[in-house]
Amino acid sequence: MSLSRVGVYVCHCGTNIAANVDVARLAEFARSLPGAVLARDYPYMCSDRGQALIREDVSEQALDRVVVAACSPRMHEPTFRDAVRQAGLNPYMVEMANIREQCAWVHDDRARATEKATRLVASAVARAVLLEPLEERQVDVEPGVVVIGGGIAGLAATLTVAEAGYSAYLVERSGSLGGRVRELDRTYPTLDKVQVVLRELVSRVAAHPNVTILLRSSVTSVDGCVGDFTVEVKTRGANLGEGVDASRDSQTLVVGSVIVATGFDPFDPRRKPELGYGQYPSVITTLELEQRLAAGDLGDNGAAPRRVAFLQCVGSRDVQVGNPYCSRVCCMVVAKQARQLRGLMPDAEITVYYSDVRTFGKGAEEFYDETRAQGVLYRRASVSEIVRSQNRVRLVGEDTLLSRAIGVEVDLVVLATGMEAGADSASLSAMLRLQRSPDGFFLEAHPKLRPVDTATAGVYLAGCCQGPKGIADTIAHAKAAASSALIPLLRGSVQADAATAIVNPALCANCGLCVEECPYGAPALDPFRGVATVNALLCQGCGACAVVCPAKAISLQHATACQVLAQVDALMA
Amino acid sequence: MRAVIPVSNGDTLGAVRDFLRALITEEVVDAVLVPMETTDGAVAPALVADPELLEAANPLAPVLGLNAAPVVGHVSLRTPRARIGVVLRSCEMRALVELVKLRQADLADLVTIGVDCLGTYDVPVYNALRDSKGGGALDSDALLASAETGDLAPQEGYAFRDGCQMCEKPHAEGTDITLELFGADLRVGIPVSLPDDVAVRLGLVAAALDSGEEHGRRVKVVERLVRARTQVRDARFAEILARLADRRLGRIFASCVRCHNCMTVCPICCCRTCLFRTPTFEHEPMQYVSWAERKGACRLPADTLLFHLTRLNHMALSCVGCGVCTSSCPVQLPVGSVFRAIGHRLQGTFDYVPGRDTEEPLPMVTFRENEWSEIGEE
Ligand SMILES: Cc1cc2nc3c(=O)[nH]c(=O)nc-3n(C[C@H](O)[C@H](O)[C@H](O)COP(=O)(O)OP(=O)(O)OC[C@H]3O[C@@H](n4cnc5c(N)ncnc54)[C@H](O)[C@@H]3O)c2cc1C
Ligand code: SF4
Ligand code: SF4
Ligand code: SF4
Ligand code: SF4
Ligand code: SF4
Repeated sequence: MSLSRVGVYVCHCGTNIAANVDVARLAEFARSLPGAVLARDYPYMCSDRGQALIREDVSEQALDRVVVAACSPRMHEPTFRDAVRQAGLNPYMVEMANIREQCAWVHDDRARATEKATRLVASAVARAVLLEPLEERQVDVEPGVVVIGGGIAGLAATLTVAEAGYSAYLVERSGSLGGRVRELDRTYPTLDKVQVVLRELVSRVAAHPNVTILLRSSVTSVDGCVGDFTVEVKTRGANLGEGVDASRDSQTLVVGSVIVATGFDPFDPRRKPELGYGQYPSVITTLELEQRLAAGDLGDNGAAPRRVAFLQCVGSRDVQVGNPYCSRVCCMVVAKQARQLRGLMPDAEITVYYSDVRTFGKGAEEFYDETRAQGVLYRRASVSEIVRSQNRVRLVGEDTLLSRAIGVEVDLVVLATGMEAGADSASLSAMLRLQRSPDGFFLEAHPKLRPVDTATAGVYLAGCCQGPKGIADTIAHAKAAASSALIPLLRGSVQADAATAIVNPALCANCGLCVEECPYGAPALDPFRGVATVNALLCQGCGACAVVCPAKAISLQHATACQVLAQVDALMA
Repeated sequence: MRAVIPVSNGDTLGAVRDFLRALITEEVVDAVLVPMETTDGAVAPALVADPELLEAANPLAPVLGLNAAPVVGHVSLRTPRARIGVVLRSCEMRALVELVKLRQADLADLVTIGVDCLGTYDVPVYNALRDSKGGGALDSDALLASAETGDLAPQEGYAFRDGCQMCEKPHAEGTDITLELFGADLRVGIPVSLPDDVAVRLGLVAAALDSGEEHGRRVKVVERLVRARTQVRDARFAEILARLADRRLGRIFASCVRCHNCMTVCPICCCRTCLFRTPTFEHEPMQYVSWAERKGACRLPADTLLFHLTRLNHMALSCVGCGVCTSSCPVQLPVGSVFRAIGHRLQGTFDYVPGRDTEEPLPMVTFRENEWSEIGEE
């Protein structure tokens, strides 16, 4: 046991840790732990100098294991693994004790936080002593990307991948490309004809030699891992896409990354029956007005409405329908449409009933000011009901600034319906092992640092499937997703985590529990040997199999029963 | 089909033996796995290929040392294999169903033969009883006679196994062939339900039982028995749960000698090598010392409580209540009652009934999105 030589490094993280934990005492305590040969504290272990300290000690003091007491391993474990790798140690001989997020940041009693930190460090050292070197694996990357969803996000991502010189397969469920943007007229804040922009993008994508477009198609299964995904695509009816054999209705694509760009579903205002949508023809949605504007026909049979009301936040910021979030585009969509109507019907009275107006973004606030300057009225109100009033409808509610009841008769009501996660998000999330945030949209790996990555390596998010966005943000997001998706392709090979599950065949009873438990389909029963085996390429190291296997015949390398027991035991000491 | 196996001269056991023999001679099966009696009266399961030897078969002997479900796995799990008739008590059949789910047995080439269980003695008790009657095989006429009314009672001065006393499912269910002892006058005939083609081969004809009151009698006897046994069971559970609340698991198992018998005999514990017999639990000397220093004292052998907790964790959802663990405990701890009491509550949580149906998925590997939403995140 004491044959190991562990070096312990306590990070101050500036004052992040040092303010609440006595780092010098902690280092002194660490020196007394069985197996530890040295312990130091240092202001920033992740800095170049901090890492150099580890490298020097590994060579000069012949350390064979390193414990870093600092932040979460999700933050800097890769950093310290690299550091020891450079010093000639196996990168899996590093253990981190999280004394920042799980200690310094959440306690304010310095003495007790220091006491807790000693336990965390003791536990990390107990485990470090039992660490075993693991062999890292390189996986060759297939030079292609599947993009699911051919809206503006999917198009932008596809083009970026194709331009970088890699094959892009664009899988679109419907019979045409463009998604929701196909239904739009002009965009805020420039009032450009959006179809012109879209047509150009679509034709560039369609004409690109690296692009394969699969219309009326959906992905039916995704297997494998970053660098080597096998994607099954099913196509309904004749395929109009180019370069694709129209006679085949399903095909297998093997690619290195997958980009999900499946967009959003508009909120269905029938879920708020008090607004009379579907009941009164003069109550329409912004999407329908958009289509009418694009067609140049307001659907009013020539009798221009004299009074128009826009209702903001329909199905957004509304806990009752389960959508507490802001859909981000509606305020600007309303400002845009109101401005367009103003131009078409100079005499009409146009009022926007809002609860807050949120016009962030370049040129947006200016656009909103100009809309008001042109005579569009904004009234802070909460509209509780829309009822029939002869051949018009009547808005009933309250002016929330004046605290006065509202009862206005109008010719046209436009509901600014928000965005919701696509109806098939649940099945997609199961297929791609994507997590979803409480609002139902796909969850990014980190809200700030990794906005296009997901918890599954090699799968990226583009556009509104991750959350509501306007076109500009969607395209920025999509190009970011494409760049990230290109990283493994450009590298040509990816390093797969070596901390996968392995089976000890002598202990395996062939019960198959692990096979059923694994979310990634990695273990299988070998019919000849009568034991489970693990496909290391599929294994994500989640450990579910090791938990369910009673005999621990299957175990997670780097989290063996002995390591975990030692860790728990030291924690309780 | 339901038929009656004829009994001549009141020799019920003889009729059962003839029936099993016919299964082999009429080529329904190649061999029969059944409890056999040795010449001096001990009883143990054996795989019998020679029909002549079935003269020593005794599936009615009121003794159970071993739950035979795991050995059924031995003869059924891999191919090539033979067609085998397996004679099982109800707790053994339930265990077999669980083992099928755990891929430790395969029903494909088996003919399961269930026998209503009239209660069993622990092996030493059974032996003592035999000795008191002058040795040799035990005459179980009295017990067989009680099948008709369901007033099952052990020989005076002796007790059935702890597991049997609280067994609320003594009646055979879910087997291919069922010897329906409850409610029947076994001196005259043994009602049996079996597949039509097997009946034809054995020359049995459908009895006018289906409509008749005989079947109704079995149902009534079983109902009454289940009710009575459930009461005993619930009283036992209440007692154990009170002890658990009061003295906790550690105290109940305080005198456990950690012989692992309970795990070895448990039909559900089907690991090749139990985790607790691997080096995972071989600690360094200083480890024991540090535990002793931390807590003041460290019980040895260590990890005894952890063993029981882990075993509960691994198999209590599938505990079929056979009680062979209690029977095998050298220090007479109420292992089975504890495992059943805790298992019963766990099983209820997941609406899971072990042994009911091979198609019923194991809760451990079933993911329900809304499960236990009261704990943790929505
Ligand atoms: C009324 C309204 C007006 C708007 N006006 C503006 C504006 O003026 N300016 C602005 O910047 N933004 C505007 N927006 C926002 C704009 O519509 C979105 O930013 C844009 O549509 C997002 O593009 P997307 O590709 O992410 O999603 P989508 O447009 O929803 O495209 C998703 C695509 O994926 C396909 N798909 C979905 N699921 C699958 C699947 N499982 N398999 C294969 N394919 C699938 C769909 O068929 C669709 O083609 C407006 C939105 C609305 C509702
Ligand atoms: S759960 Fe364990 S014993 Fe069962 S098949 Fe998997 S590795 Fe083998
Ligand atoms: S650790 Fe086990 S359950 Fe998790 S992915 Fe690997 S094989 Fe599957
Ligand atoms: S724990 Fe005891 S009662 Fe339960 S199945 Fe195992 S041996 Fe039978
Ligand atoms: S206690 Fe657990 S590990 Fe041991 S044999 Fe039973 S199921 Fe297997
Ligand atoms: S059989 Fe009894 S003594 Fe042996 S391990 Fe089980 S409970 Fe302990």
